Amino acid sequence: MTENFKPKITLFHCINAFGDADELSLTDMNNCEIQTVKMACSSMVKDVFLLKAFEAGSDGVVVLVCPEGQCRYVEGNIRAKKRVAWVRNLLDEIGLDGRRLALGNMAAGDKTAAAQIINDVLKNLAELGPNPAV
Amino acid sequence: MIVGEQKPISEIKEIIAPYKKILILGCGTCVKTCFAGGEDEVAVLASALRLACKKDGKEIEIEEFTVERQCEDEFIREGAPAISRNEGVLSLACGAGVQALARRFVKIPILPGVNTTFIGVLEKQGVFTEECSGCGDCMLAIFGGICPFTRCAKKLLNGPCGGSQNGKCEVNPETDCAWQLIIERLKILGQMDNLRAYVPPKNWQTGLSGGPRKLVREDHII
Repeated sequence: MTENFKPKITLFHCINAFGDADELSLTDMNNCEIQTVKMACSSMVKDVFLLKAFEAGSDGVVVLVCPEGQCRYVEGNIRAKKRVAWVRNLLDEIGLDGRRLALGNMAAGDKTAAAQIINDVLKNLAELGPNPAV
Repeated sequence: MIVGEQKPISEIKEIIAPYKKILILGCGTCVKTCFAGGEDEVAVLASALRLACKKDGKEIEIEEFTVERQCEDEFIREGAPAISRNEGVLSLACGAGVQALARRFVKIPILPGVNTTFIGVLEKQGVFTEECSGCGDCMLAIFGGICPFTRCAKKLLNGPCGGSQNGKCEVNPETDCAWQLIIERLKILGQMDNLRAYVPPKNWQTGLSGGPRKLVREDHII
């Protein structure tokens, strides 16, 4: 791991699943920067947005979606899951490592689950280091 | 429509390797529908290539543009300014689009970013199936609108081979037996008598076996 590495994470989230990143209690809260992008539904997260986040300098990208079967728009979270899987493969193919991108299902307002998902990504980033395409 | 699939990023990286300024040119017709080369795919590929090149320490400038149709000169013209200010063009159109560009822009390398695969239909969202071989001698009228040349693995013209099981082809169990479909459809249409007539061996000269084809409509030529 690179010394003094403070990961930048872009957090795309469905407003029905998650409210505000300020309310998160992360184990490494002071050691990362989180930028949030609110969406009316996680299905709005197009693959190009995920890639653009990496182009803009993110070391990791997290997509928080509602639990399967509980999407307000029926299948939005399934669509998001498939897109994230597609982009993870793409990241592997270009050598950025798909583990920089994660999707997590969480019940509305379950901040513990959200923190867990982000902490898992932070663990991966600690191993992977900074975005090599910056 | 023409169905195609984007080439793997590793192959595309090799293709564009000699260039430092490249245009990714999409096509808004067939390849857009099959998610291979429309505006969205251009944006994703451009972004992925920028990331890949930066990671590899390679400097490259990538411009993005999509025209409505790359296989027609009238539509290609819209892309002319973008094409002329780049060292090369990575076309996300089908092979016809790539060649139409190459014909018009003789001095600029036109590179394919898509593997053109077949003439097909959207079976359901995300699934495309081959339904036409472009044989130049359509006989769908007698086969109930289902093409045995394309959809029967053995290209049988005078009835089923007898090897299908539960309506599936013995060559590929994931494929519907074309002859089962033909018979079911002709029954619905009340046209089973169509199958009494002998269909002679196909004249493949009207297809690609006779060399590249050309269609001339004198009434449209001035």
